Amino acid sequence: MSREGSLVRTFVELADNLVADFDVVEVLTVLAHRCVEVLDVADAGLMLQSPRGDLRVVASSSETMRLLELFELQADEGPCVDCYRSGRAVAVLNLELEAAADRWPRFVPKAVDAGVRSVHAVPMRLRDQTIGALNLFRDDEGPMPDDDVVAAQALADVATIAILQHRAAINAQLLYDQLTEALNSRVVIEQAKGVVAARTGVDMEEAFGRLRRHARAQRARLVDVAHAVVTNAITVDALES
Amino acid sequence: MSNERRARVLAELAKQGDLDGSRLCDVAGAVVGVTGAGIMIMSSDSPLGSLCSSNAMSGVIEDLQYALGEGPCVDAYGLDRPVLEPDLANPATPRWLAFSRGALEVGARAVFGFPLRFGAARLGALNLCSDRAGALSDDQYADALTVADVAAEAVLVLQAGAPPGQLATALETDANFQYVVHQAAGMVSVHLSVSIAEALVRLRAHAFATGRPLTDVAADVVALKLRLAHD
Repeated sequence: MSREGSLVRTFVELADNLVADFDVVEVLTVLAHRCVEVLDVADAGLMLQSPRGDLRVVASSSETMRLLELFELQADEGPCVDCYRSGRAVAVLNLELEAAADRWPRFVPKAVDAGVRSVHAVPMRLRDQTIGALNLFRDDEGPMPDDDVVAAQALADVATIAILQHRAAINAQLLYDQLTEALNSRVVIEQAKGVVAARTGVDMEEAFGRLRRHARAQRARLVDVAHAVVTNAITVDALES
Repeated sequence: MSNERRARVLAELAKQGDLDGSRLCDVAGAVVGVTGAGIMIMSSDSPLGSLCSSNAMSGVIEDLQYALGEGPCVDAYGLDRPVLEPDLANPATPRWLAFSRGALEVGARAVFGFPLRFGAARLGALNLCSDRAGALSDDQYADALTVADVAAEAVLVLQAGAPPGQLATALETDANFQYVVHQAAGMVSVHLSVSIAEALVRLRAHAFATGRPLTDVAADVVALKLRLAHD
């Protein structure tokens, strides 16, 4: 199959997996292997943020890749980690140059030992949320072909959307509850602003400031302070000014 | 719902870079081919506000439903099925008298509501309006069902990207959750020594009695131009 055909097939596969019971690890492992097939890379791996917020190695095209990625996480250092943290692609054209070793003193020797000469990491990201990174290791130094760079980001994007939609599917009710809870919290806060403004004569912005400062001083949640104000559980005078 | 219709809607959504609340309405209107489109977020108690509106007409139609608690989206959400009014000026069955008056005033002649749901979650409703009387064609109807499905999914996907306890910023870009109404309710509750719920009722009653939009009344209260009095 042509390279174009393989890429299209991968996109379709990923998109088709937008059903409630798809297995994230399985799909991403397929993606990792597909990257090695169609892109000019020796190895590919994916890191994803776990529900608890820490980064995990989820899929790799080889055991060597998996170990290197695990090492990056343990050492908390490396181009893939940087990519995830910044939400931006990281390209290292030659791992044997001093600049690379300076930047990642523990990762670089291990990677070079394993035969890696250049790295390209692209973020798995939708708007302001980065959920992971697609990491590509090459055994040649130098830049990845432009076509490959574009294709890699596109693959990462499709995978990101597939994962978020999967999460949405199985969590629809939970997400809806979070949405309405967030909205209701805002509503109570706006109501509390009105109460503070009417009692003290300050404007809405200052009213908001008073609520926020009180919450911080009491180490309470803003929405809880707002709720107390609105139900007269605390008087406006009791708010720090 | 055919995959081809769904693919077409997704392609429209994907067209211009970042997806957010406001694009959903623009795409909804464009795909179905109506004058205006909007998305209302609702809870079992009442409308919570508007996620987006593609034009002024749909914006007013959403504000009216928020203020009055009646209209095609309110019914579509409550009944969990599409609610269609192809001729607002001469309805087969008279309904939504206050809403219709306001909607006709801004040029709406046909209004349609489609429930927005995903899985077990019932989010609200898609609101479609036209400046000409007439029913939706079969194609438009099918497209509207598809758009409602995709929009519901998109809203949840966007919310999934938010930090816990917060509304996703992507959902706030063009939204109107009527914060000024709630600020005014807080003030009125102090002025009249009533609960917030009572204050909201008073605000709505004043808006209805004076024939003014609820948001305008609320804005005047907040700006200290208006102070509601005890009856």
